[in-house]
Amino acid sequence: MRLLAVTVSLGAALLVMASAPSYAAGGDAIFKKSCASCHYTDGPAKEKTISDQLAKKGPELFYAGSKFKKDWLVAWLQNPKPIRPLKYNSLTDVNKGDHPKQSAGDAAATADFLMGLTSPEVKAGVIKPAESAQAKAIFTKKMPCGGCHEYAVKGEKHGGKSGPSLVGASKRLNPDWIYAYLANIKVFKPVRDMPDFASVLNPKDLENVAAYVATFE
Amino acid sequence: MSRLVITTTLVAGLALGAVGSAQAEDIKQVYDFYCAQCHGVNGDGKGINVTSDFATDPRNFTAGAEMAKRTDEDIKGVIKDGGPSISKSPLMPPWGATLSAAQVDGLLGYIRKMAK
Repeated sequence: MRLLAVTVSLGAALLVMASAPSYAAGGDAIFKKSCASCHYTDGPAKEKTISDQLAKKGPELFYAGSKFKKDWLVAWLQNPKPIRPLKYNSLTDVNKGDHPKQSAGDAAATADFLMGLTSPEVKAGVIKPAESAQAKAIFTKKMPCGGCHEYAVKGEKHGGKSGPSLVGASKRLNPDWIYAYLANIKVFKPVRDMPDFASVLNPKDLENVAAYVATFE
Repeated sequence: MSRLVITTTLVAGLALGAVGSAQAEDIKQVYDFYCAQCHGVNGDGKGINVTSDFATDPRNFTAGAEMAKRTDEDIKGVIKDGGPSISKSPLMPPWGATLSAAQVDGLLGYIRKMAK
């Protein structure tokens, strides 16, 4: 009888471990220890003034699970190449690419934790990557995104330096997040030097641009 | 009585001076945050985004003769509605949904002071 009880208890314990969310393995603890001094994860967005934004050492991550693709995140945390040409919040200093690196195990655990941080503002499965003449015309001519963002043409980088690079956006960004960000920027970044394009483009145009950016190699 | 008036005036003057400099500081911050990446911190039109790909020359605010041709309403309109509102480049985007009317007025004054 005692043996049965021990066996059942052990089995139950193993079952609990197996079914628990993967970040229980320590992603939240790793994040608190290694990442939380530069990134906050408790939304909604806290910034109210330019000074609030400039005081931040890195981007907010309270919607990371809606923004990033997990495979990219796991790989990037182990080999964090610059996304922004310039240092965060700087218009003069080059991004030295000195973001801390994680081991494969820590990166997987941290990514598990971050992918659990989603935003109700991002509707899943709506935007599919797609090129279109309309989107290209907006991106390059009507509201030239390349003024501030790098993008690649046949492998060669073009564009401005002040915004995050869009090179490789297809691997990094969730297309639904790109749309949500364009449509309602203030929910994600209430104080940011990117215009509110939802004030001048209609939702269909925003969808097309989001789908277009989501194809970027 | 006259001493009281002088003291009161002095205090009020100092207070106004403090407010004035605080506003000037804030507008520099607004300019540096939203405008300097293309127009340059000094307003010379040579911001960090102006690479060989940049299809136009951002307005040089220090060019006094050129800036004198623009009315205050032109400048405020371009800030709010973007370059195409006065048949200029769309690389100047619309900031009307981002900036307050007070910030636009402040930027106008800040830009005007850069002209030489």
